[in-house]
Amino acid sequence: MEHQKCYLFKPQGGRPAKRRRLNNSDLPSSWPLREATYNELWATQEKRIKDVLSEVNRTTTGEITSFVSASATESRTSAYKIPTGLVVAGPSIASHRTLFEHLGREIVAQTRSAFVLLTSAECPNLKTLLKNLIKNATARSTEEDEDDEVAGNASQKGPKLLTYDLQLLYLWFRIQDLDQLVVAFQDSEAFDGSLLGEAIELLRFWSDRTPFVLLFGIATTVETFENKLPRAAKRCIEGQKFDVTQADEILERVLHAAIDGDDVPLRLGPALSTQLLDRQKDHVQSVDAFVEGLKYAYMSHFYANPLSLLLRKDLKFEQMSGDDFEAVRNLGSFRELAERLLDNGEAALVRSLLDSDAALFNYTRGQLDEGQLKVSSMVGALETLNVLRGCFPKMPVIPLSSLYVRAVSGELNGSPAVRELLISVKKASSDIFIQILDSLLAWTPEDAQSIVCSLRERLAALMESNEDCSTPLRSEHDLRNETLRTTVVAQKVELSKQKSALSKRDAAYSKLVDECHSRLEAYFAEMFINPQEIFLHEIFLYDLKSPHKDAFTPRPRYAVERALSAPQDYLGCDCCRPAAGNDGTESTLSSTQPATTIMYQLYLESGSLINVSDLWSAFQAIMGDDDDEQGLTMALFQRALAELRCLGLIKSSRKKTDHVAKLAWKGL
Amino acid sequence: MKRKRAEKDAAASTPTKKTRADIPGDDLEDEIAVAATTPSKRTPSKPSLIRDLHQARTNGATNGFTNGDLTPRTQRKVLFSTPTKQREDEPVDGTPTNARNPIIRNADRSARRKSAGRLIERTISGDQSDEDVDEEDTLARQIWDEDEEEAEEDILGEVDEEAIPETPSKRGRGRPKGRQRKRSPTPPTNLPPHELYFYQNRPGGTKTSNNTLPSHSLLNHEEYFVQLQSYKDPHADCLDFLHSVHTRSFNQWSFELRNNFNICLYGYGSKRQLVQDFASHLHSTLSDPPTTIIVNGYIPTITPRDILTTIATALLPKNAKLPAQPPALLQLILSTLTSEPPSQPLLLIINSLDAPSLRRQSTQSLLAQLAAHPSISLLATTDTPTFPLLWDLSLRQQFRFLFHDCTTFVSFSGVEIDVVESVNELLGRSGRRIGGRDGVGYVLRSLPENARGVFRILVGEQLAAAAADEGLGDEEGEMSPQTERRVGKAGKQREAAAEQGVEYRVLYHKAVEEFLCSSEMVFRTLLKEFHDHQMVESRKDALGTETLWVPFRREELEGLLEELIV
Repeated sequence: MEHQKCYLFKPQGGRPAKRRRLNNSDLPSSWPLREATYNELWATQEKRIKDVLSEVNRTTTGEITSFVSASATESRTSAYKIPTGLVVAGPSIASHRTLFEHLGREIVAQTRSAFVLLTSAECPNLKTLLKNLIKNATARSTEEDEDDEVAGNASQKGPKLLTYDLQLLYLWFRIQDLDQLVVAFQDSEAFDGSLLGEAIELLRFWSDRTPFVLLFGIATTVETFENKLPRAAKRCIEGQKFDVTQADEILERVLHAAIDGDDVPLRLGPALSTQLLDRQKDHVQSVDAFVEGLKYAYMSHFYANPLSLLLRKDLKFEQMSGDDFEAVRNLGSFRELAERLLDNGEAALVRSLLDSDAALFNYTRGQLDEGQLKVSSMVGALETLNVLRGCFPKMPVIPLSSLYVRAVSGELNGSPAVRELLISVKKASSDIFIQILDSLLAWTPEDAQSIVCSLRERLAALMESNEDCSTPLRSEHDLRNETLRTTVVAQKVELSKQKSALSKRDAAYSKLVDECHSRLEAYFAEMFINPQEIFLHEIFLYDLKSPHKDAFTPRPRYAVERALSAPQDYLGCDCCRPAAGNDGTESTLSSTQPATTIMYQLYLESGSLINVSDLWSAFQAIMGDDDDEQGLTMALFQRALAELRCLGLIKSSRKKTDHVAKLAWKGL
Repeated sequence: MKRKRAEKDAAASTPTKKTRADIPGDDLEDEIAVAATTPSKRTPSKPSLIRDLHQARTNGATNGFTNGDLTPRTQRKVLFSTPTKQREDEPVDGTPTNARNPIIRNADRSARRKSAGRLIERTISGDQSDEDVDEEDTLARQIWDEDEEEAEEDILGEVDEEAIPETPSKRGRGRPKGRQRKRSPTPPTNLPPHELYFYQNRPGGTKTSNNTLPSHSLLNHEEYFVQLQSYKDPHADCLDFLHSVHTRSFNQWSFELRNNFNICLYGYGSKRQLVQDFASHLHSTLSDPPTTIIVNGYIPTITPRDILTTIATALLPKNAKLPAQPPALLQLILSTLTSEPPSQPLLLIINSLDAPSLRRQSTQSLLAQLAAHPSISLLATTDTPTFPLLWDLSLRQQFRFLFHDCTTFVSFSGVEIDVVESVNELLGRSGRRIGGRDGVGYVLRSLPENARGVFRILVGEQLAAAAADEGLGDEEGEMSPQTERRVGKAGKQREAAAEQGVEYRVLYHKAVEEFLCSSEMVFRTLLKEFHDHQMVESRKDALGTETLWVPFRREELEGLLEELIV
């Protein structure tokens, strides 16, 4: 089988199924329930994210689709220019494909057009471009209406056409019931400029028979794209620009969907979210990659952590095993809780939690809900913070992602972002203050509404008593209510601040502002707690970096180099361990190591050109020069050499006889 | 020498003289002398210093062996010497007009000495015309000054170093022995990786011995298998342990595949058995196991079409007609999967996704399209350490890979690579493929007389070229690295040519001369026979000249030639 190219796998043996299923005990008994929980919870989460994404897509695809259908009605005169959509999709190239595929589906569904997507990789020259264009267009039709006779050949009576003749496309188009043909160039920057030019001009010649609409995906700017096109081609098209929602904006919205809401079961911890967001930024990945990362976080949590079971809302006591309860008692946050409770003199509660599984179960259920509530209200407070900051025109907008990372690591309380806001609130004049209160009214939870309302009413009363509404009320902290006084004392200038006298109304207003300020301060202090101090945070915050790092950003080169230079790390055998007395960092050669690793270490020491004969002598010296075994040693030598070649570490060299060239250096 | 200088002097002192018509006789002679050195220089209308300098340099680069000069020459300029003194080591070579060995004459004239000469001439001739400060003079002055500075710097440095003040004039010529930078024979240890790279790639750093492996020492297929059959890996237990470690992840992989991720296993060692076990595991634990297709990417002849056809036959009814072109086939597969998705996603297992036969961009993008479909799960293994370079951002996105380190330490030699063949290719001994020299002898005996004749010429020519190369090689061996470096380029070219064998045209003409064939077509037919038996390899270079060679080593070739002549 192994020498066959590809084959259908057939399990060996008759029915080993039963036997095997019995000893499939390496998964804990709670796993099926956990997987079910995962499936339910992730499904709801995924739906939220999908809604956000399709919402985002709808706006842009809607515009483009209407553009396409509008161009169908245009008359094709001699001065006709091909209607062209310039889709500015931003620098995250990875998401372009999904965008255009989505676009294609929408266009085909909503307008009477066919859609062909071309990428630069499949179009190195004009001939292949046309060939692909025709092939993609006609292939689509045959799969949709297979009962029709094959379009090209049946209707064609004349000489056989070449595969890149646009006549083929025209013949096909004629028998389709379509208004136009949309040709999309997914990565137009990657196309050769003159190739695009030629293609456009050629399509222009045919556009009186086959009405084309062109779409160009642009990662940079329309201007750069325009410079790339030859002038003659530019004359053939009439462009309209479409701005697609940029990837980082979509990311913010996806993140928002992933963390905001009372029913979000699991949130990302600070380390992991930083890692995911950084990866997004550094590698310009598509939003899909972020969603995948999030999904994998859910997967890992439910797969590896038995306590994730607790996230199930309808969990029953019987569904948890004794081991699970032991695991709860071993949680770091449980220990902290116990200490806290003991300090408060609640030893009886601690005792019962330690002794009774049932008590622990009930307690954790309550605490878990509470903890999740705390985190979700923290996310809510983030939004309040952002909205309030929006009231002040000069304050820079901080993206939710960075606020979230700071909040979830417990750094937000007392941070500059909050302090700046609080100071500004203090200094706010009444017109801004009204805005603040209005937005607070819209954003604060029910219980705080009354406080805001009363503040709002008192402010309204103050404003009414203010006869001349032209000047807003000012608080005592406003800079305009302070004067700087300079005095010269003993030839030194002294600066001193002095509060100017406040009017009565202003004083009343200042009181109001102060009250609001202190309430806000208290609110933020209450909200921005460190989530990692909450009991059971291990269950509703997932913050393990290493599974993601290993699964998404592997270091294969390092892994192979390590395996070859320190085989004992993987093999775990004693024979290959560096001799005692060595500091362990330096790898030593011994004949017991696998042949390839010995060769690799010899390889590391040699220069860029290796004499195989000398390599053989060195290898033989290490393996021990027993004459009887020379054949075997040679066999191992040849095998190791072939493996190094297979790994792409050496290649043959023509510089000297029996020499090979070194291709890789360790650790680079 | 003098003659030439005088002439140049004349030319230089009267820069207005531009045409050769002015002194036809002189120029003619000069042309002959110069043509011997650099054939490209045809019209010495005005001897320019720049050209002279250039000439000196090129001559210097070649004179290392044209001289037959075997003593190591240092490339460093001799610093403490006056220009007059240096004439001493010019070869005293009969009359100045004697142009017997013009290379030597020019070779020893360093740029600096020429500049000096020029400056002196300028002062002596006393030509104070306004054109005297021309470009060349400034250049000469510059070179002279530069060297002066350098010399001064050196003196200062030395004084500091040796702490014994000594007048530079009293010192001997050249650098003092103690100052020569010594290259230590042992390589420096504990270099950081990047430093090690530069250390190992330093110019002239690749000095390797000329030892070669005796041709009989490498094992052939038979011997190799005999040896390995008796071999027991001392680490078998460890390998089993590693395997069992990876086996424990099977459930995790299965979970990941269920969740629409694809898996890529990397790390050193063959992962074929592991993957095979995983497939069995799935089939034994799941009540509704997925249809599993295994693709062996390491097989050199595999094509994308093979993969697609296998998938299509697994998906579609037996009598379905499959389109011939891979893209159409792919479309068919994807649309079938979309319209009637199987109850379980199809499991596609690809061994060695980064194998050479699957490395093409189009193949990878095709596989990515398959992998991106929700009804296909892909479990791929990769062997090389640099496989992520195969995919750009969008391919990677399509693959939706989760990576797992599965270092198994299982040798690739079992199935993935043909060790004996691979090593022979690596060492350029692919001729062993057809059973070595004996095999070729056997084939030759069955061929007609004229075919044997052509082969004899080819082998003979190749040996002659190798012999010529050998002679040069010996010379090079005795030269110091510096001279070797100077000759390096020309030498290497010759060497490569010798290794590549005989030019197609040459061989054809020789064959015609010996009445072995009458037309090129007959010649081609004869060659084809050799090609079919892999007795001859050919290559076209950038200019389109085809060279042919017999892929054997020298001693084997000699043996072959003997057999052919007898």
